[in-house]
Amino acid sequence: MEKSIESIWEEGFLKNDALVAPKLNNLYKQKSIDIVEKFKRMYKVNIIALMAFALLMLVIAIPSGMPYMAIPMFFLFCGIITIALKFKKKLENLDKSQNSYEYLKSFDNWTKEMIQTNTKLSRFMYPYVCLVMIAGFWFGSSGGDIPGNIMLNEYLLNNPETLTVIGFPVFWLVGLLFTLGVISYFGAAIGNFDLNIVYGRILKKLDGLLLDMEDLRS
Amino acid sequence: MSSDFYTVSILPYAGIIIKICRAYTNSQEDFEDYYQEVCLQIWRSREKFKEQSEWSTWIYRLSLNVCLTLLKSKKRKHTYFSTESLPNELIDDCKAFSDESLNELYSAIKQLSEIDRAVILLYLEEKSYVEMAEIIGTNSNNIGVRIKRIKQRLKKILDGKIN
Repeated sequence: MEKSIESIWEEGFLKNDALVAPKLNNLYKQKSIDIVEKFKRMYKVNIIALMAFALLMLVIAIPSGMPYMAIPMFFLFCGIITIALKFKKKLENLDKSQNSYEYLKSFDNWTKEMIQTNTKLSRFMYPYVCLVMIAGFWFGSSGGDIPGNIMLNEYLLNNPETLTVIGFPVFWLVGLLFTLGVISYFGAAIGNFDLNIVYGRILKKLDGLLLDMEDLRS
Repeated sequence: MSSDFYTVSILPYAGIIIKICRAYTNSQEDFEDYYQEVCLQIWRSREKFKEQSEWSTWIYRLSLNVCLTLLKSKKRKHTYFSTESLPNELIDDCKAFSDESLNELYSAIKQLSEIDRAVILLYLEEKSYVEMAEIIGTNSNNIGVRIKRIKQRLKKILDGKIN
């Protein structure tokens, strides 16, 4: 006689082997691998984007006559890419033979080192970007008159009493230094904000995972 | 997770988790991953259990939610999981139990939509319509009709009338 689904269910689960619970071991193995692999992919895409952007700066900015902005920016990007590639190599070299917790912990240490470097770098990078942009606007397009010099001469002609240092009005220089100082001061926060936009979610997930694992280990 | 918590609060209900996880996975590896994830979620959410329902009912609900979430994320990763049920060639590979009839029943269940799978699992576990509605988060009114329809479809699948 044909069995009903109810009896198949009942009889099937009466057998001893039907409800053997799997062992809970190495709970986070797959998760640890997944999160690090995902981060690696994102980091790689980020580096490629930086490379593309650096080249784009040269390709677009030089023909359009902004070499004073484009070339220093290109070098800045080259510097950032070099550092990022060093970090990428370190990331690739993380020891996968460790257990999940140790693997994630070493990844966490790597992210901390990367964030620390990014914070330090941001203190110089953002003022540098500001200077480069000012230089770009000061020198304008190559070949023609220098807009910054025209503006400076006009100002000095109208204000002959202005105190100058190396040919520039003192308050211009003070203003510039103050601006650079403020940008440098907030550079770390800007850099971290920037990093958070790209990697914030995954880093938060990593923190949660580590907390769970520490809780499990205790 | 302390071994005490696992032994006292999860292991006696492991059967529920196993039955649900089997219905939403298609390999031993996936099954073990889902099982572990359910256990972890139970442990993580243990303080959210308000004793408004039975512990077992809560485990059913949590297990289903975890399995459906994992399935969704898996679908996003693999486009071949784009239909609601698993592809037949994958279902046929699944021989999780020594009881052949039970394997066939599970294969048939896996051809149902995700929600229908939940409904039939709860029905086979002899849950009342009210409990089923509470676990699935639906109205209990149309559950009877739905079960009838699912059973007919399962019968057809088991009789080999449709794939």
